[in-house]
Parts: sequence; structure tokens; C-alpha cells
Amino acid sequence: MTVLDGPNRELQKASGHRATFFSYLHEWVATSDHKKLGIMYVTSGLLFFLIGGLEASMMRWQLAWSGLEVVGPEEFNRLFTMHGTTMVFLVGMPILLGVANYLVPLMIGARDLAFPRLNAFGFWLFLFGGLLLYFSYFGAQGLYGMGSSPDVGWFAYAPLTERTFTRGHSTDYWILGIGISGFGSIATGINLITTIMTMRCPGMSLMKMPLFVWLMFIDAILIMIAMPPLTAAQVMLLFDRWLGAQFFDTGNGGSAVLWQNLFWFFGHPEVYILILPAFAYVSEIIPVFSRKVIFGYPLMVAATIAIGFISLGVWVHHMFALGLSPMVNAIFMGSTMLIAVPTGIKMFNWIATLYGGKLRFQTPMLFSMGFLTQFLLGGLTGIMLAVVPFDWQVSDSYFVVGHFHYVLFGGLVFSIFAAIYYWLPKVSGRMLSETIGKWHFWLLFIGFNLTFGPMHVSGMLGMPRRIYTYHPDRGWELWNLLSSIGVLFQIAGILFFAYNVINSVLRGKKAGDDPWDAWTLEWTTTSPPPEYNFSEIPTVHSRRPLWDQKHPEDPDWKYE
Amino acid sequence: MSTEEFRPRTPEPPGIDLPAPTSSPFTCAFGVTLIAAGLVTQWVVTIIGAMLMLVGAIGWFREVHPDNREDRIPLEPDADPVAPRTQQVRRLMGQARHRQRVPAEIHPYSAGIWGGIIGGIVMAIVATIGSLIEHGSLWYACNILSATLLIGVETQTVEQLSQFNATSLIVGLLIQGIMSVFVGLIYGVTLPMIPRFPLLFAALFVPLVWSGLTWATISVINPALKTNIDWYWFIGAQVTFGIIAGLWIIRTEKIGTMQNWTYLERFGMESPGIRSQGGEDE
Repeated sequence: MTVLDGPNRELQKASGHRATFFSYLHEWVATSDHKKLGIMYVTSGLLFFLIGGLEASMMRWQLAWSGLEVVGPEEFNRLFTMHGTTMVFLVGMPILLGVANYLVPLMIGARDLAFPRLNAFGFWLFLFGGLLLYFSYFGAQGLYGMGSSPDVGWFAYAPLTERTFTRGHSTDYWILGIGISGFGSIATGINLITTIMTMRCPGMSLMKMPLFVWLMFIDAILIMIAMPPLTAAQVMLLFDRWLGAQFFDTGNGGSAVLWQNLFWFFGHPEVYILILPAFAYVSEIIPVFSRKVIFGYPLMVAATIAIGFISLGVWVHHMFALGLSPMVNAIFMGSTMLIAVPTGIKMFNWIATLYGGKLRFQTPMLFSMGFLTQFLLGGLTGIMLAVVPFDWQVSDSYFVVGHFHYVLFGGLVFSIFAAIYYWLPKVSGRMLSETIGKWHFWLLFIGFNLTFGPMHVSGMLGMPRRIYTYHPDRGWELWNLLSSIGVLFQIAGILFFAYNVINSVLRGKKAGDDPWDAWTLEWTTTSPPPEYNFSEIPTVHSRRPLWDQKHPEDPDWKYE
Repeated sequence: MSTEEFRPRTPEPPGIDLPAPTSSPFTCAFGVTLIAAGLVTQWVVTIIGAMLMLVGAIGWFREVHPDNREDRIPLEPDADPVAPRTQQVRRLMGQARHRQRVPAEIHPYSAGIWGGIIGGIVMAIVATIGSLIEHGSLWYACNILSATLLIGVETQTVEQLSQFNATSLIVGLLIQGIMSVFVGLIYGVTLPMIPRFPLLFAALFVPLVWSGLTWATISVINPALKTNIDWYWFIGAQVTFGIIAGLWIIRTEKIGTMQNWTYLERFGMESPGIRSQGGEDE
């Protein structure tokens, strides 16, 4: 065991070893500290978010008016493929895993995740998988000199992905890059489950865990169940393409529907894998900024478990337009509607938490309110899409694009910003600017709704997804123009955010240990926390241990 | 026997042991990626990847066998101790217990039922007056109401709707009766939970929202009916119901919920030291 005593460390730092770029780089490359890995996950995710956002902006520029030629049809296909793949696998997943990495051990009073080195392995797999995917822009010429980045959509439907239709290696890069990232996600999922099950501090029974931890626990279980089918399907597809297997080759007895089933058995739980962390963030933020305990904790836990369970049985609603039997459609229509019940319970409980509270509309709360409203709208259009006849009418139209962006952007991304404004002071020890934060929120809120609201209209008017241009006589131009103008607001909002983060980290106001007067364990340690998190493992008696310390005359454990 | 065994142990400096930094996971993951990358570039890349993965795996193995390689991290200054708040928790106004479930007191359900019945009767009177003034008929409003259930009524002319129809009367009374009791009950349960101005909520907010919803959806539910409804009288009747039912309920004395009762009290057990039923918190 190496002993790094305090003076030696300081000497190391002072002697210039620390000052070199490589020693600093080595510190991060070789780390197995959950906090550093969490920071790297989130930072990588945000960088990929910029790339994915750039791809989306180019698409919106192309579609702003009929007949534009900003990009050609082939490049447009690549853009929507890379945008979707990036946002789901390289933005949503790493950020949710990163935030969980950072916060779960702190919230349960542990010093690290159960398998720190596996944690590092998972992160590097994710990052290298993402880089491999983007290397396709340079390296995917392949044997036939065709193709660049993947262009088969983020869902990669068969038989389009067979070699007959996509020559070259672009699709292979999609398979391999996403497959490797998927292994990283599974590694982190294992880590989270084990950590939560075995490393909670004394007194923290399951029903005393913060809701954040509960949600990440169910999320990790979903990752474990949903990711392997995708990986298996990708291996089968690789066999199809290069070893002559015919799993999805419809011309030789394979089944395209099999791919759809395997993909969406991953794909729909994936939506919940992405949105459960959003629930987790707002479930922590709303009570603190309402100065109230979360309403209906046991029911929130039950609803989380129910969502996790039901989400595994709804995937066929992505395939309603396939021509399956009415019985199958009816069953999955029912299950899809059923999931609205636990989700509705959560929505009502958040509102009930707000009700009668002493609300503080600081930036994390504003983004949480944005989440509540926009996710609600996305959920309602989701129920509309669960109705099979309605789905038939708008399937593969911009209505669907509007719907899932209300869920994943209006829901997930807004909650991610809420989480960053809430927890970054703990991570960096510095506060973000409230004024710039509010500019960020309102610009993004306006831009988001201006972009994705009109998509419902253009979809109802019949505009299909994935078209790179359209005729001027369809009545879609106004709605597309509005959508594209909205992107400008969003870009402005993101610029405010980037400036705010950089400015805060460099010269922000010191945050202190507990800037929000919060109640969970991460706020009991310093900002930023030491490597070991807690010098003494805490003992808790309630779901709000910090409340108990602040109010010894009126502790929570009397009432739980 | 070596002399080292006799060397007095130096006390370990205070600190906390954590896994030592290692680049093995990085190397291993990079190797895996290169193995995959070689499949779409050059086989040499796969070979290099396999070698790197092996190096990483061996390094990783040596990190954890025979013992976990750990570093002792020196203790840093602790977080500031959490000071108990001097400010007491604000209690809900007028309540002895601030953690009780709201509402702590409710109107009896019977108040809602009676409020609904009385409100429904007065509402029917107002609607009938409206019928008399607008159409010179006692039955017009009742016939319109029955059209929500009876097929064919909505296609009748104003003259036909002004005539007495026994079926319409029975159906109209049934609808009015059931809806009035139902809404009254909802008022009875809801009004104690309205923090301020419950009468305003009952008399204005709900009737206006209900009228708006009816106006917006009637063209879908029953298009022919839309033109036959006198909307001002409709709103007036709704508001009248809200005022009467709301007033009746609000004026009824509240009773405490059982949330702070013991199970024995809830079971109605009577023994020394147990409050009598319906009692307030001690």
C-alpha cells in the first residue's frame, strides 16, 4: 500500500509534477474515483451533446424552407442517423451514468462504487465506443469505397442494414461503436446495483434511501435487462453482414420483424432508462425548492418499480404500423396506456409536493418546472400515439418527432440542466450565476417549444420524418420555418450555459457545503468532496439525515 | 529469522485507504476497441488491440491479487459541522401538529350530499325560469338536459323541445339528481383542501371551468345540441348551484379526520384513557 501523506502530496504538487500536463492527464486516465469518472462521463456527454446539436441544427437549416440544398439527401440521412444515435447513446446514457456515478455513493454514505476499476473500464468503453462511431466519418470507406458515417437511422432497420443495401463499413461502425458503449453501460449497471444493495451506510434501509437512489437502482436493472438484446441483435447483424448468416435477410428467409422486435425490446425500455434519471433529479430538486418533504414517498417508489416493470412490455407500440394482428396491437395498446398510471402518480406527487410549499424559483427549480410541463405534454401525446388508429395516421410523421422530443429533450435534457445547476456547486465548489442561468432557461424554453411545438402541426399535416426536403405546396413551410427559428434560441441558450459553467468554475462565488439548505447526505461533506467522501461513514435515521441534524427538536424519523 | 520482524512498527499515518489509481482499465478498454476497429480497418489493428487488452487484463489482475492495491489518502479538513437551526419549523396555521395530513378537518360527507341536493333544486329552478323567459316553456331546459342521454331529442325543433315529455322529465330529473349529489360530494371533499376563498372556488371557478369544458366539447359529443343551449342561462344555473352548494357545505361544522387516532379509537373501543369518537386531538 502506498501512503500518500499530506505533506508529500503537497510537495508533489509544489514540485512541478502536478504542473505538467501529462501528470494531470495521468491522474484522470488512471483514476478509479467515482467522482472523477462521473465528471468525465458528464463532460463527454456534454461534448457529444454539442456535436449532436450541431447535426440537428444542420438538419433544421436544410428543412427551414422548401427546396433548400444545404446538405444533400445522403448527408441528410447520415445527419439524422448520427444525431439520434449520438443523443441516445453518447449523450443521454453517459450523463445519466455520470450523475449516478458521482452521486449514488455520496447519497448512500459510501466511499466509492463497489467495483471502482470496473467503473473506469465502463467509462473508457463508452468513450472509445463513441469515438469509434465518429471515426466512421474518416474510416468508413470500406472495400467498395462507399459510405461514410452510418446512414441507416438510429434504429438501423433490417433489411436496410444488410450488405446488399449498405455497402462499405458505415453500418459496421454503428454496430461496433454502439456495441462497445453498450458493454460499458452494462458494466456500470452492475456496479450501481451492487453498490446500492451492499454499501448503504448504517441505518439506510431500502425505504430510507433517497428517491434518487431508488430510481437509479431500477434504472440499472433496466439497463441490465434491455441492453443485452440489442448487443445480441448487433452481433447477429454483424454475422449477417460478414459471415453469411441470414437472421434479418428477408431475401433468404430472414426476418426484418425479428430485428424490430429485438431492437425495440431494447429501444422502449431505453426511453425509460433515459427518463427515470430525469425523475430522479426532479424528485430531489422539487422538495428542496418547495421546502417540503416529497409527497407520497412509498407510492413514488412503487410507481418507479411499476414503470420499470411495465416498460418491458410495451415495445410493440413502435410497430403498430407493421400490420400485426389486432389482438397483439390491442394488448400493447393497453400496456402502453397502463404505464401512464404510475407515471401519472409521479406527476401528481410532484405537484402535491409543490402544493402549499414555500417555492423558491431558482434556476434548478425553473428547469424542473420546464421538465414537468414539457414532459407532461410529451406524455399526453404519447397516450395519443398509444391509440392504434391514431398511431396509424401519424406514424413516421413529424408528430412523432415532436412527441419524443418533448419527452427526451423537454423531459430529460431540461432535467439534466436542472441537475447541473443543482449539483455543480457540490462538484466544483462554485455557484453558477443565477442571472445567466435564468437567461439560459428562458431562451431554451422558448427555443425548445418553438422548435418542437410546430412539429406536431406539420406532422398532422402529413409531413413524414426523415425527408430531406419538401415541395412548397404542402403547407409545411411556415411550421418548418418556426421550428428552425426555434433552434437559434436554443443555440443562444446553450451559449449562455457554456459561458456560465466556464465562468463559474473559474471564478464563481464559493458554494459552501450546503448552498441550497438541502437534506441528503451529499450535502454533509465538503464542496468538492474529498476523495474518500466521508471521513466517518455516517449513520442515518430517516430519509432526510441532514434535516435531522438541522432540526434535532423535530427530526424526520419520528414520522417515518 | 530476519531482523525486520523485530523492527518496531511505525504507526501508519492517519488516512483512508482507497483503490490506487491504475491505467489497466483504460488499456483494457482501448484494446477491446482496437479489436473491434480492426474488423473494419486492418487486421493488424485487431492484433495490437488483443495485445493491449491482454496487457490491461494482466495489469488489472495484479491490481487485485493477492491483495487490493490501495493508497492511503490523508484526511482533509472536514465539512463544517451542521449547526441546528435556531429558527423553529413553521407550523401550519392554527394546528397543533405541523406534520398532519391536510386537511386535518373535513366537512361531513352528508354536508356534500345535502349541499348537492339543495343546490340542484335551486339550479333547476333557475334553469326553468330561464326556459320560461326565453321560450315560454317550463320544460325546455329539462328536455335539453335529457338529450345528453336520450337519442333523437337533440334533433327536435325548439317548439318540440318546449313541449312536456314524460320520458324527458324522468331522465332529466335522474340526471340532475345524480349529478347534483355527485358534484356536491366532490365539493364536500374538495372544499376543505382549498387554502383560501373556498366559496369563490365553488361558486365561480368550478362552474366557469365546467361551462367552458361543456361549451368546448359539446360540438364533438352532441353537435346538434350546441345551438339549442342558452349559454348565459346555462352559466347562471351552474353558478347558482355553486353558490348554494358551496355555502351550505362551508357553513357546516367541520369534524376532525381520524389521522391522529389510535387503532383502538378507530375501532370504536371504549375504555379509560381513550377519547370518545369524533373528538379533536388532545
